[in-house]
Amino acid sequence: MSAEVEVDQVLVIARDIFSSMIDGEAGFLESWVGEPPVLAEPVVAWVDLRGPWSGRAALRTETPTAHNLSRALLGMSADEEVSDADLADAVGELANVVGGNVKALLPEGGKLGLPEVAAELPLTADAVLMHGVALAWRGRPLVVEIWALPTLDQP
Amino acid sequence: MIRVLVTDDSRVMRQIVIRTLRQAGYDWDVREASDGAEALEAVRADEPDVVLSDWNMPNVNGIELLNQLRAEGFQTPFGFVTSESSEEMRSTAEAAGALFLISKPFTPESFREVIEPVLA
Repeated sequence: MSAEVEVDQVLVIARDIFSSMIDGEAGFLESWVGEPPVLAEPVVAWVDLRGPWSGRAALRTETPTAHNLSRALLGMSADEEVSDADLADAVGELANVVGGNVKALLPEGGKLGLPEVAAELPLTADAVLMHGVALAWRGRPLVVEIWALPTLDQP
Repeated sequence: MIRVLVTDDSRVMRQIVIRTLRQAGYDWDVREASDGAEALEAVRADEPDVVLSDWNMPNVNGIELLNQLRAEGFQTPFGFVTSESSEEMRSTAEAAGALFLISKPFTPESFREVIEPVLA
């Protein structure tokens, strides 16, 4: 996996998604500079891939940033309230698009699950973080993670 | 006016597809369905001119929707808008009778690129 999906590719995927779906132009998603960000009020969205390689694409950010991402995706104004359902839908869909594009880089393919959203990522004991790409969207921290989950479906 | 049925289990993504259609210059009459089962009912009740559908959805997914429509005799022009776009999926989509597959993330230009030839 690590040989097949590189950090740079994850970065390109994230930038493409943000420039076309969220900002309408490039330049608002950059690499995070400095110590890894500590997320206050974290929210994480993820999709699982099951196949010859099983794993997970996740997107972590802070709840206020997730609200702003939802507003951008739904074309809402800055003072409009974002419902919990819209927030889960919006960040879940971002994780889904990341997952779909990561899957496209894998030669063996697999089956993509539906997006899920929580405050923390539930992980199996053998989960291995392949990539954790720290980013800044309009200055706020956001992390894209690719996990290997070898025993995703095993009891 | 062209009547389109936008099918996606994500309301956010339906909004983005509808906005992108408008930005691409397609001032179409839009209906929405939140999964393949709902889309199937919508087509049976009132067939649109075109269906734009996500692939990965609960209940009835996009490819099952397309296969079912064709099995029931609907030749409604059909295109996928999906976060997955492997060669295998493209060939599966084409074999089932889809006109195009737009991969997410997309732009108004990528919509025009695949829709213009179909309209011509």
